[in-house]
Amino acid sequence: MKKIVKILIVGVLSLLAFLVTSNNVNAAQTPNYIITTDATYPPFDFQDKNNQYTGIDQEILKTIAKRQGFTYTLKPMSFNAATQSVSSGQADGVIAGMSITDERKAVFDFGTPYYRSGIGWAVKKGSNIKSLSDLKGQTVALKTGTSGADYALSVQKKYGFKVTYFNDSDTLYNDVINGNAQATFGDLPVIQYAVKNGTQLKVMNSKSPIQAGWYGFGVQKGKNAKLLAAFNRGFAEIKKDGTYDKIVAKYLGASATTFTGSKQDNSSVLGILKANNGAFLKGLWQTMLLTILAIILASVWGILLGVMGVSQNAILRSLSTTIIYIFRGLPLMVLAFFIYIGLPGVIGMKIPAFTAGLLTLVLNEGAYTAAFVRGGFAAVDRGQMEASRSLGLSYAKSMRKVIVPQGLKIMMPSFINQFIITLKDTSILSAIGILELTQTGSLIVSRNSQGFRVWAIVAVIYLIVITLLTWLSNWVEKRTRA
Amino acid sequence: MMSEIQKKVKVHVEKVNKSYGENHVLRDISLDIAENEVVVMIGPSGSGKSTFLRMLNQLETPDNGTIVVDGFDISEKATDINKVRENIGMVFQNFNLFNNYTVLENIMLAPVELGKLDKVAAEKKARELLKTVDLVDKADVSVNSLSGGQKQRIAIARALAMEPDVMLFDEPTSALDPEMVGDVLEVMKNLAESGMTMIIVTHEMGFAKQVADRVVFFEAGKIQESGVPEQVFNAPKNERLQEFLSKVMHA
Repeated sequence: MKKIVKILIVGVLSLLAFLVTSNNVNAAQTPNYIITTDATYPPFDFQDKNNQYTGIDQEILKTIAKRQGFTYTLKPMSFNAATQSVSSGQADGVIAGMSITDERKAVFDFGTPYYRSGIGWAVKKGSNIKSLSDLKGQTVALKTGTSGADYALSVQKKYGFKVTYFNDSDTLYNDVINGNAQATFGDLPVIQYAVKNGTQLKVMNSKSPIQAGWYGFGVQKGKNAKLLAAFNRGFAEIKKDGTYDKIVAKYLGASATTFTGSKQDNSSVLGILKANNGAFLKGLWQTMLLTILAIILASVWGILLGVMGVSQNAILRSLSTTIIYIFRGLPLMVLAFFIYIGLPGVIGMKIPAFTAGLLTLVLNEGAYTAAFVRGGFAAVDRGQMEASRSLGLSYAKSMRKVIVPQGLKIMMPSFINQFIITLKDTSILSAIGILELTQTGSLIVSRNSQGFRVWAIVAVIYLIVITLLTWLSNWVEKRTRA
Repeated sequence: MMSEIQKKVKVHVEKVNKSYGENHVLRDISLDIAENEVVVMIGPSGSGKSTFLRMLNQLETPDNGTIVVDGFDISEKATDINKVRENIGMVFQNFNLFNNYTVLENIMLAPVELGKLDKVAAEKKARELLKTVDLVDKADVSVNSLSGGQKQRIAIARALAMEPDVMLFDEPTSALDPEMVGDVLEVMKNLAESGMTMIIVTHEMGFAKQVADRVVFFEAGKIQESGVPEQVFNAPKNERLQEFLSKVMHA
């Protein structure tokens, strides 16, 4: 038994080590930068109808990279995760319609400012609100970490409104349109672009942006000077030859359908499925891959912890109890952020989002698994162990031949339950930018604004997969019983 | 029945004590058991007889004192208890058959796992043992389908599969319906007649009279009296034994 436990530990560790290092090796060999961006920030960053990232930021970056001869891997995620990934050294640069502020200058080095923007505010079309003073007692929806949010907070006392926060623009706009919030503050061009594309909002200060300022490309302070210099050289070039103006005009002068697909495609479930089947399949594949790997590794880890929890050794027992206590107590999202954004700074090594996500799932689901595994073993009658030991079988052999098989049978329903929970929990990892099914849904909605239809599709896909998983588990359970 | 010919000592217990917190369950117990001897231990519940029995294969550990079984000092930490246990069979009140195996697999498990017999030989041995406990037709059924009496006979066969030189019985008939008791006692009687060294905790006084070479009376953690059955049952000297017998004989 000890040998098996050892083999399992070594196996799990080496697999994790492989997942951690395999991406690192690639990064070291070619001068390939990791650039993060906001997953939904039209017209600067968004997915077009072919699921390619596009927008003002993206075209500037693409053009500069091509001319300056560097390559990059784009990591779309929430704005906060995008900036934190760079400040923690997980990624090399961020281009996400980020305003240059003094606070940010303390953490980032910025390239040449590339776009002049300002803060705008908007209300629902047909709203009674005419000026900022009408916001007294009302709710204002803000996107976390944006200049718009900072500004709104600075005048919150003066105008007496409440605030509510969102991580992506589309959900935020819908909150205002649905009347849960009465106004929003954000970057003026972003709101204007959304309005032009049919979002039912009215911009209140289109002629007079508040706190006009500049967007900048950022790298971690004191790092990546080469990348920054290349960006600046390239930017000067495209500014001079008129490419920059063409890019801006292309997005601010275009209509919605140019990028987001035809109205026909977006107005029916079938059309949405057809237009996005590649994206849905990719997202589903990531979800399945995460689920399957997490189920296997978390079960192995959980059984190991569970066996430790009923061990004769008091140190092993309390170690097991402590690990279960910690990882069952931590919210999944906190653990994901801690591993993905917090840990790399401490260990000085990048952790790819997928690995961080998988590790998060394994630690969290493994702790729950361990708890019911421990309970299952404890539920096996004590006499079974005594009878086995009295025949001369060692503790380890008794566990393996007598206690574990009976315990596993007791735990089977709990395992199936945990598998389904694991599948659902993968959706939480969209927060660290893993493009699984839920994140895919967010991106499609941000493009076509068909929240109801897209989320219905996503929900049905989850239900189908969960049904299949349940059938499979029940079949396995029946087989093991026979 | 220690004869004038000096018999080999199989179990040697000297000055053993055991407490659970404040509760002193065994007080300075010393006892020698000879090869081929059948010793029956009687006494009221909580007198320490089961604890004593479970100490002989270290399911309980003594606080102090010496226990030597088969020449191995099991109170010594360096002794490989698993090796010693291979030669001590144990039968429990609640049978404790392995629920995840069939009858045959229950009997075969230990000899195969401990490398005593290969699978073919182990199965042959198991079927022979099933014959001696008169349950040949139950070889392939799940243990959960057996009656209590059948379970206990399988448990005895399972212990015998390791060919032990000592058998411990911890109230083997206490959990049985009355009509099942006879079958189990019959198997035990045959075993005794075959010369097995047996230590039995039981409340079956009739069986003790019939089969025991020696009867040991436990009370309050001490051996109050021991001797051949005729003496212990017909001419008890100890007052507490007299009291105990008057209760169980007239119950």
